[in-house]
Amino acid sequence: MKFAVSRFNPDTDSKPHMQTFEVAVERGMMLRDALLEIQRQDESFAFRHSCGEGVCGSDGMNVNGTNRLACITAVSDLKEPVEVRPFPGRPIIRDLVVDMSQFYQQYKAVEPWLVREDPMPEQEILQSPADRDKLDGLYECILCGCCSTACPSFWWNPDKFHGPQALLTAWRFLADSRDQATEHRLNELEGPYKLFRCHTIMNCVEVCPKGLNPTQAIGHIKHLMLRQGV
Amino acid sequence: MSRKLSGLGAWVLQRATAIYIGLFGVALLGVMLVSPPTDYAQWRNWFADPLVGIATLVFIVSILLHAWVGIRDVLIDYIKPLWLRVSLLALLALGLLTWGLWASQSLILVRLV
Repeated sequence: MKFAVSRFNPDTDSKPHMQTFEVAVERGMMLRDALLEIQRQDESFAFRHSCGEGVCGSDGMNVNGTNRLACITAVSDLKEPVEVRPFPGRPIIRDLVVDMSQFYQQYKAVEPWLVREDPMPEQEILQSPADRDKLDGLYECILCGCCSTACPSFWWNPDKFHGPQALLTAWRFLADSRDQATEHRLNELEGPYKLFRCHTIMNCVEVCPKGLNPTQAIGHIKHLMLRQGV
Repeated sequence: MSRKLSGLGAWVLQRATAIYIGLFGVALLGVMLVSPPTDYAQWRNWFADPLVGIATLVFIVSILLHAWVGIRDVLIDYIKPLWLRVSLLALLALGLLTWGLWASQSLILVRLV
């Protein structure tokens, strides 16, 4: 099976180019396995990966035009030649390895932790099963970056727009019955950029390997703002 | 424009005006299908009706606000240099204002002349 992978060596190249490799496909082979085989053929080929089962979120990349995790993408489902590129819009460090700093900064900016005004209880903070259910579809995010790097609004304003990943996380904490910083969180999201650059393009929903829905989370945030503001 | 109005305010405004523009459009289409004015006198009489006049004025204002928020969004997305963005926004404001005043003037003239 033919694989065209993007190559970029910062020491010698001015821009990335595609290099084709032939890989013998085995039954049940995932794209990550194929990339490992390519690495055996050319050990200078670089890409990130770790757990190999869609949990760590390290091997996000652009495959035939769609952002996905290589480890849970079966090569048998892909059209030949398989074109593998780094995440769009991110500075390339080498081959498929990109600089995700801005993505993590946006995550950090939404204060992804529980904030309590009340004194901390001696034991855990209790939560009803119904309130716990509200976090389903939010807490599962693995920060792979597939969504934010597929978002045109994030491409144009990665320094100012939080992007779908960080906004999903923002809603994860707004929706948490144990969190007591709703007002502060909503105030932080005001203005034309952080939240409102989202134009419900929904690329994020399409590419999320965990099947999460950042667009819906963003809608929830807007409605909560409206309820608190009127 | 205040910071408040550029985020949630603009978003709500865009949606509210969209609903009105949609309703007005459907109503206008209905009138044109059921009993379209056939000559200039009928057109004038129709617009001279206070209800039609007010509804049309609200429509004009809705279009202005909707276009302002929408095009401003596009400019914020794509136009990075501040001087260029401000110039284009000023041009947009001028264009919208001109159109809005011209359209309102027609409505007022219909009632005066």
